[in-house]
Amino acid sequence: MSWLSRLKIARGNQPPLSAEAERALEAWHALAESAHEQPHFESRYVVLNTEATGLDLERDRLLAVGAIAIDGGLLHPRDAYHAQLEPSPGDALAGLLGFVGRSPLVVFNATFNRTILERAFVKQLGFTPEFLWIDLYFLLPSLFPERLERPGRLADWMAAFEIETFQRHHALGDAWAIAQLFLAAQSRALSLAVTNPRALAEHAQAYRQKLKV
Amino acid sequence: MSNDATTLLVGASTDFLRNFSPFNRMEAEALAFLAERAVLAFHARGNEILTPESGVPTHFYIVQRGKIQARQAGQATVTEYTSLTLGAGECFPIGAISARRPSTNAYVAVEDSFCFQISADEFLHLMQISPVFHLFCTQYIASLLSQSRQQLQSSFAQRAAEQQTMTTALGKLIKQEPVFVTPDTPTRSALERMSELHLGCMVVVDAERHPVGILTQSDLLPRVILAGFDLARPIGELMTANPHQLPASASAYDAALEMATHGVRHLLVVDSDSVLLGVVSERDLFSLQRISLRQIRAGIDNAADIAALQRASKDIRQLALNLIAQGIGAEQLTLFISALNDALTRRIITLARERHDLVGIDFAWFAFGSEGRHEQTLSTDQDNGIIFRCADAKQLKETRARLVEFARTVNEDLAACGFPLCKGNIMASNPELCLTLDEWKSRFGDWIREPDPQALLNASIFFDFRVLYGNERFGDQLRSALNRGAKGNSAFLRMMAANALKVMPPLGRIRDFVVEDDGTIDLKKSGARLFVDVARILALRTGVESSSTVQRLRQGSTKIGMSPEEVSAIIDGFNFIQLLRLRSQHLETEHDSADDNRIDPESLNELDRRILKEAFRQARKLQLRLKLDYQL
Repeated sequence: MSWLSRLKIARGNQPPLSAEAERALEAWHALAESAHEQPHFESRYVVLNTEATGLDLERDRLLAVGAIAIDGGLLHPRDAYHAQLEPSPGDALAGLLGFVGRSPLVVFNATFNRTILERAFVKQLGFTPEFLWIDLYFLLPSLFPERLERPGRLADWMAAFEIETFQRHHALGDAWAIAQLFLAAQSRALSLAVTNPRALAEHAQAYRQKLKV
Repeated sequence: MSNDATTLLVGASTDFLRNFSPFNRMEAEALAFLAERAVLAFHARGNEILTPESGVPTHFYIVQRGKIQARQAGQATVTEYTSLTLGAGECFPIGAISARRPSTNAYVAVEDSFCFQISADEFLHLMQISPVFHLFCTQYIASLLSQSRQQLQSSFAQRAAEQQTMTTALGKLIKQEPVFVTPDTPTRSALERMSELHLGCMVVVDAERHPVGILTQSDLLPRVILAGFDLARPIGELMTANPHQLPASASAYDAALEMATHGVRHLLVVDSDSVLLGVVSERDLFSLQRISLRQIRAGIDNAADIAALQRASKDIRQLALNLIAQGIGAEQLTLFISALNDALTRRIITLARERHDLVGIDFAWFAFGSEGRHEQTLSTDQDNGIIFRCADAKQLKETRARLVEFARTVNEDLAACGFPLCKGNIMASNPELCLTLDEWKSRFGDWIREPDPQALLNASIFFDFRVLYGNERFGDQLRSALNRGAKGNSAFLRMMAANALKVMPPLGRIRDFVVEDDGTIDLKKSGARLFVDVARILALRTGVESSSTVQRLRQGSTKIGMSPEEVSAIIDGFNFIQLLRLRSQHLETEHDSADDNRIDPESLNELDRRILKEAFRQARKLQLRLKLDYQL
């Protein structure tokens, strides 16, 4: 089934996507997948953060998404995305896909962010886009054990790096803090010969496995 | 949609920047320009962000969080600090990026740090659109006036490649713990220790280890061997008392100057309590200096004829070039040239005395103008005169004739040694300038009473006199008579002030500089002279004895209530112009040239141009003060 027919089924009775959103979606599907093996300084990462009605995956809804690109180790305010889901959640998510492209996604706490996002993607756009997910929840304690030995909350990491943000619990406000943490993580990773997005994701994954044991 | 996100992030950067100067004062539009383009990057502890080797900086950085250390790279210390830590809100590099030249500092993150950065082009654009930021950068650069020495240095780096810096602190040149004896030590045991330890000299100290005397190897022949000195007697009777000493913080250059001025080979280095730390010998400095200062000094002192002095004169020039290459400041450099030229002139006078019978004549040799102010550059023509005593009026004519004959020889010999004859005939061989104390006093008095244009011009040359050879008392007497006369005549000072204000600093309203038809600025006429003229008036008004412009400004302006900061900014401005003069003289020709003082501001790099502009602003400030004081 084509992405378009999936989209039609998913939209059902909902109003159709804007022309712009459809173009963004079409363009996203046309993008080639990446092996995510180019070095950091040639990689564009997208730090992604969600804002929901609460933290209960069963009941709560996605309210807004915020995303900031880290391109070549630099955080540029022009390369950022923020959208409320209402009134047009489909358009907001299609716009997000247009912004992210195939870039690896950096989140703090993938379990929550990824689940709530993927659910919204399925509901609004009829499919689950594939991404390389990098979870700072595990990556940070694996790279900076001297600062926090175990996985901690975002507030703990912000305190550990004395990072502040303009608005906490705001999709983009927290993304801004996470993005700064990721800048530091990238630099430390490089010094540990973890040189590309895939290696970063694997590094975080390995740490997670170790915790389970 | 993404506009929304950008607006939020730019807003966050703007709020951050607003906490710091100069961004809190910056125009809204300029601040928006900066915040929209400021990109954030992370620098792990220990990372080098920018080094001199990275070439012309491509980015301008503002510390967002963390600590960045600016470390002085290379041998010569350019600024007061050797390292400086920058925290949130501080930015770098300002001078290097403005001048589009490699940074002189290495910038290293000493903590995990975040910095905003914009590109060099964006930085330059920001300077253009924001007067506040422009002023901030300019003032910052002006505060690094001395940094220009580094520029200077690099252009001579080739020549000075093998040479270490003369700015090394003396404390660092001390090679071993000091060896010393007390004055009551028997000479024999002191000499035995000298011999045993292969010392060139022995220091004599009191109970608190304060140096009280010195005995050098060269003293042994005349004072011990030939004099048949009894070695059982204490060294206190043999030593040279009040030995020359310098603090450990003084530079190798200071030591060299001291040695050259006093003709000594050893200097004692003391701490702030005058306790002996060690000895620095000429040989220690020799390793820093290809042409030895004392060699030149000795060459001058032992010169038997003019040919030898001509060689010494060339050496002085070469040495000056080396010192420029090492980044010595203008004030020190000109003092230095002055000290050696003085020695040279004294030797010429001494040689001339052998050929002229001046027995029974009490006189002194005057230096006027820049030489009188200790501000000789490498191409200064002669300005000199004679002052003498003649008790018997009947002898006056004959005495003057003898002195004029003698002076003619001196003037010619000076010319042969590279000091061109004065075109205006301001030379001691001019009978008009070979006068008794009373005649000089009455000459000065006439100018002060009737300050016509010629008198004012004369005042600007002759009032900067100092005694270079002979009876110093003549100079003191004339100076105090002059200061008394001028101080009591405010009309004269006011005329001098009006005259000094005739030349304005060449600052343009639209363009940076007002240039002459050939596109140049005369750094003497419309640069240095602005400072010199005001300083002279200040000295006369406040009774400062010194003839040097810097000293006059330093001593005089505090008396009229200027703050030390103001004064040192003014002096920095003057010194920078002097430095540019020295540099252009050297770069263009190695001999006297009419264009020596001309500089095309377009040929300067951005940094030097800005500093020059600031220097002219200081001149304007000084003139403004004069204007107010004399209601002109």
